Amino acid sequence: MEQDAQLVQQCLQGDGSAWEELVRRHTRRIFNICYRFTGNRTEAEDLTQDVFLRVYRTVASYRSAHGGFATWMTSVTRNLLIDHYRRTKRDRVTDSLDDAMPVVENKESVARRPDEQALLGELSGQVQTALTRLSPELREAVILRDLQQLEYLEIQRVLEVPEGTVKSRINRGRIELARILQQMGVRPA
Amino acid sequence: MTWTCEQTEARLSDYLDGLLNSEEWSAFNLHVNTCAVCTPLVASVAHTLGGLYSLEQVEPPPHLETGILRATVGYRKFDFWAWLRSLQSPRFIYGAVSVAATFALLLTATGFNWRKPKLADLAPATIYHKADGKVHVFYGRSVKFVSDLRVVIEIQSRLNEGDQNPAMREETIPQSSPKKEPGRTDNTNPSTPKQQNRANDISRRLEVLACEFPILRGSLVDRRFP
Repeated sequence: MEQDAQLVQQCLQGDGSAWEELVRRHTRRIFNICYRFTGNRTEAEDLTQDVFLRVYRTVASYRSAHGGFATWMTSVTRNLLIDHYRRTKRDRVTDSLDDAMPVVENKESVARRPDEQALLGELSGQVQTALTRLSPELREAVILRDLQQLEYLEIQRVLEVPEGTVKSRINRGRIELARILQQMGVRPA
Repeated sequence: MTWTCEQTEARLSDYLDGLLNSEEWSAFNLHVNTCAVCTPLVASVAHTLGGLYSLEQVEPPPHLETGILRATVGYRKFDFWAWLRSLQSPRFIYGAVSVAATFALLLTATGFNWRKPKLADLAPATIYHKADGKVHVFYGRSVKFVSDLRVVIEIQSRLNEGDQNPAMREETIPQSSPKKEPGRTDNTNPSTPKQQNRANDISRRLEVLACEFPILRGSLVDRRFP
């Protein structure tokens, strides 16, 4: 935390290596949030790059009094993910209509890349698929709590909602996720 | 303390995160153990949570950091130590050793003296001249070897032909007889000195061949002294 604040200060003074260090420290975490939210590596790469571009342009507006730099970056990421979700909503509706058409299409042709298949274990892959079917509000809450291990207070800052709403969303998200997994045929042993 | 199904659903995350007090925890357990609706719900959410925790961090592609830096600051500063560290990979070391071995082999082939190395020996013109000389010597030796081999094979094949065709042997090999006088090929006409010299020359060659190839000694002797 302290180190991040120092790096931001150095960055604001024009130290390029400080920015490189910030990129190196946070790329993996931001990429994982984006990947878990979208379920797509290519989209996650593009969104991660967009997040850093926005952070680079607005880093001067960061105030350490409002929380850690990581929380601030997560907040930027969340806003971009929601924007991306809304922007691609129309495409997804079109895709859903296409899926509903009685056209025999090989689902393997639109399957994930082999490296993505390798990344997903049996249960892990099913959980990732179920995550992408959750509503964005519940999805982001579950990802921040159960995958990024953030505290309730940090999630509250990122989502800018009261603590009660955070807890409610996390609870509803977990229950909904369990129901989706049951619909997919995944049951506890 | 009474506990309902609605309370179970509302406080499920608190239960799983260990945020219930002891009284609530006991009431929760008591209800869940006796409720046919809540038991599978708690089991499935706990299982889902296990699945979420089992999700491992995904490694971002290696080019992502570079792409971010290029998109933001426009360049990537050259880090000498990072570059040096990247050279420590086994693949690079193997490649470097292979290139060095090939270079040493080529230099040795061009006649480079490793005991007394001179800078002039590394000049391209010198390397070219030495390589050219080596190639010519090698070519000359190869030609001589092939020529020698051809002579030996020809002699051997002629001898084999003679073995298979006795009539031919009778015709081709001069017969000597103790009754004949030197310089005569038969009993009627005396041979010319030229013919006699040729017969003697062939006899000498056969003796030499018999010495060189002991395995042919018997057949050669038969030819010489039928």
